[in-house]
Amino acid sequence: MRGYDAFSQTLKDLKLLPVFGNPGTTELSALRHVEDYVLTLFDGISVGMADGFSQFYGSPSIVNLHSVPGLGNSMSFIYTAKMNRTPLIITAGQQDQRHLLMEPLLSGNLLSFVGENVKFKYELTKAEEIPSAIRKAKMIATTPPTGPVFLSIPMNLMDEEINYEKQDDISINYNTNNKEVLDYVSEIINSAKNPSIVFGWEVDFFNAFKEAEELAEKLGCAVYSEPLSHRAPFLSSSKYFAGDLMPGSTLINLKLLQNDVIIFLGGDITLYPYLPSPILKGKKVIFLGMNIQPKFGEFYNVNVKIFMRELKDKIKRKCNFAKPLDLGMTTKIANERSNMGINYVFSKIKKEFSSYTVVDEAVSSSYILRNFMGYSHNTYFTAKSGQLGWALPAGAGIAMKHNKTLAILGDGALMYSVQTLWTLKRYKIPLKIIVLKNGGYVILKSYASSYYPDMENKAFLNFDLDIEKISSSFGIESMVAGNDMDELKWLAEGEEPKLLVVNVDRSVPKLFL
Amino acid sequence: MRYITVLPEFIPMEEVKATVSQILPEMEIVNDLSLDKYEAEVLVATTFTKLSRKELEKFPNLKYIQIASTGYDNVDISYVKEKGIALCNIPIANKQSVAEHVIAFSLVFLKDMMFLNQEMKSGNWPMLTGSRDLEGKAFGIVGMGMIGIQLAKRLLPFNVTILYYDIRRMKEEDEAKYGLNYMELDDLIKNADIISIHLPLTDKTRGMFGEREFSMMKDGAIFINTARGEIVDIDALLKAIKTKGIKAGLDVFPEEPPDFNSEIFKMDNVIVSPHIAGVTLESQQRFLTETISNVLRYAQGLDPLYRVL
Repeated sequence: MRGYDAFSQTLKDLKLLPVFGNPGTTELSALRHVEDYVLTLFDGISVGMADGFSQFYGSPSIVNLHSVPGLGNSMSFIYTAKMNRTPLIITAGQQDQRHLLMEPLLSGNLLSFVGENVKFKYELTKAEEIPSAIRKAKMIATTPPTGPVFLSIPMNLMDEEINYEKQDDISINYNTNNKEVLDYVSEIINSAKNPSIVFGWEVDFFNAFKEAEELAEKLGCAVYSEPLSHRAPFLSSSKYFAGDLMPGSTLINLKLLQNDVIIFLGGDITLYPYLPSPILKGKKVIFLGMNIQPKFGEFYNVNVKIFMRELKDKIKRKCNFAKPLDLGMTTKIANERSNMGINYVFSKIKKEFSSYTVVDEAVSSSYILRNFMGYSHNTYFTAKSGQLGWALPAGAGIAMKHNKTLAILGDGALMYSVQTLWTLKRYKIPLKIIVLKNGGYVILKSYASSYYPDMENKAFLNFDLDIEKISSSFGIESMVAGNDMDELKWLAEGEEPKLLVVNVDRSVPKLFL
Repeated sequence: MRYITVLPEFIPMEEVKATVSQILPEMEIVNDLSLDKYEAEVLVATTFTKLSRKELEKFPNLKYIQIASTGYDNVDISYVKEKGIALCNIPIANKQSVAEHVIAFSLVFLKDMMFLNQEMKSGNWPMLTGSRDLEGKAFGIVGMGMIGIQLAKRLLPFNVTILYYDIRRMKEEDEAKYGLNYMELDDLIKNADIISIHLPLTDKTRGMFGEREFSMMKDGAIFINTARGEIVDIDALLKAIKTKGIKAGLDVFPEEPPDFNSEIFKMDNVIVSPHIAGVTLESQQRFLTETISNVLRYAQGLDPLYRVL
């Protein structure tokens, strides 16, 4: 069997199709018999699509990049996959080994280039390694903490003859628990004066919402979500859910001021910007999870789904918290109607798209989006890295098989990966897109207003785009929402990708201390 | 870096200390400045603590004073200037509260609340009242700064005609956004049913409202001052109250506390409050948050906001 056949057969055997990519000459040989290939018109988009696909469907996926330029174009997406803990197998073609010494066009040190952004990186040396290297890559990517891996494949290996050995698919079992840790943590909670739980993205990863809710119910205390969680961390409809922690140390400390013990389940702390308050000083902080790497406190490796199920039976009720109803929101929404304020806009989106999976890149409105759209299993995704340009391709990856997917992004964010619109059209992917048009980088303006007020009105923070025209040039139907936002119904209808522009209030919210 | 906060005695120290230890553990909290010397570079205080030259000289390393209030009359400005110390206030925490206070003054007069309240408590059931609507009135705002804008935003739903005067006219689109009609001051005074002052006290605004201005006001109009007492000639106002039936809502006075024997406190068509328009439980929370934010900004190595010196 030739190398290219070994490559395509291994992908079939290891259930790694489709391949997301943007090939060049160095990859063509590998793709000779690949049957399921999703083309993107910018390399990074293929990584973003694979990231969304992999997270939503809970299985690793494969990406095919074009040598040094393709890898370079994809670095921010690979970094995001690392932060998202997404199991991706990223491949790139290397130049023909027989003249590497001559430093030919498109050659380079790909392993050095990908750097520390992957868990494992390897450049194949002979064609026989093709099946086993891909299998090893998949195994490492899916072993906790999960994450992207990288294979550099010299193009000449694909034409070599090998003896193909079928690869058995890997089997990963996350069902581990630790009784000692269970006893220890339950004892800490039971002897605490005022404990609190902070839930993280692994609740979604393991679909442990029922266990998390039952644990919160038993404890009776206010629970929170980790700051900037990239997946749904808890059922936001629960009366115990007191909201998302903000990513500033001072804000976290103030929120948890009264708590002596804080248990993080399947999540971690993300901070931005720097604030001088030492994080949770003098408190007992325990992190539990499988894919997290905390920076302080204590950490124990557990499967949070199993752990929570058993912890619930070992702890005593400590509080009688119930989230107060936010009746003032009705007034806020009514007040914001005339100027398309963000609360009004999301109240309308929520009505039409409540059953959708939301992919969020509305950076300056993200905290309001989360609040309105709510959390439950597989309903919320965003980039953990802070990257712009991720949501559109990730949404496309999810929408490939899930026809109720909505990407909500800012006008700035749209432009980072706008070529995704072509892929949506080409493959008839039914992603619905809402672009919140505010004419600039509002998150930067908000940051400026807190720290450098003279910069808030800088011309380079503003831009004006004709998004309807951009969308139609890719063949994607689009409309601009009026004040009643009736166009949301149009957006939800049909199985074709569509884009709705919403001209939102341009005032700058206070997002930083 | 060393930080110190001086709190008035009525604020619960232990509670504040517990909170501050989670925000900026280096911050020392005290009730007074009774020691001879302090090493702190940053001093946080309220207006309840006098910071005269005598107190400030105890801080040889002082670089930044944060006053947790809009006013900073308690600070010896000449000493601060002389030593090149940064002085910051919090000008943004009470604008909503003042705007609401102005509307409260207006409605109490328009709805004849004082009369009705007094009658009912005297066992009477008055059949007639001079109660009026705010809707349709011309409301003149003198000084369109942060408080003026908050006031205009709150007046819009009442369907009033909003007139304003400021030394700097706003952009046309901002006027349209808040429904504002710009007028020169004299025209505003002549046309407004209600006038509310929102100016800082400067050499130009001191005594800005005197006999000439009150003589131009409509008979029976409402005059509200929540800015600074010295902007208004109180004797001229008293005369206008007597001769033109002007109603006055006063939160500020030329001298504070004022002379309570003054005739102004005996007039039926005067409502007073003790310079408290901006002081609400909510505004105090905002003052606290903004003060913390500004001190943290400094601790991060950034310039603090709201620098007045």
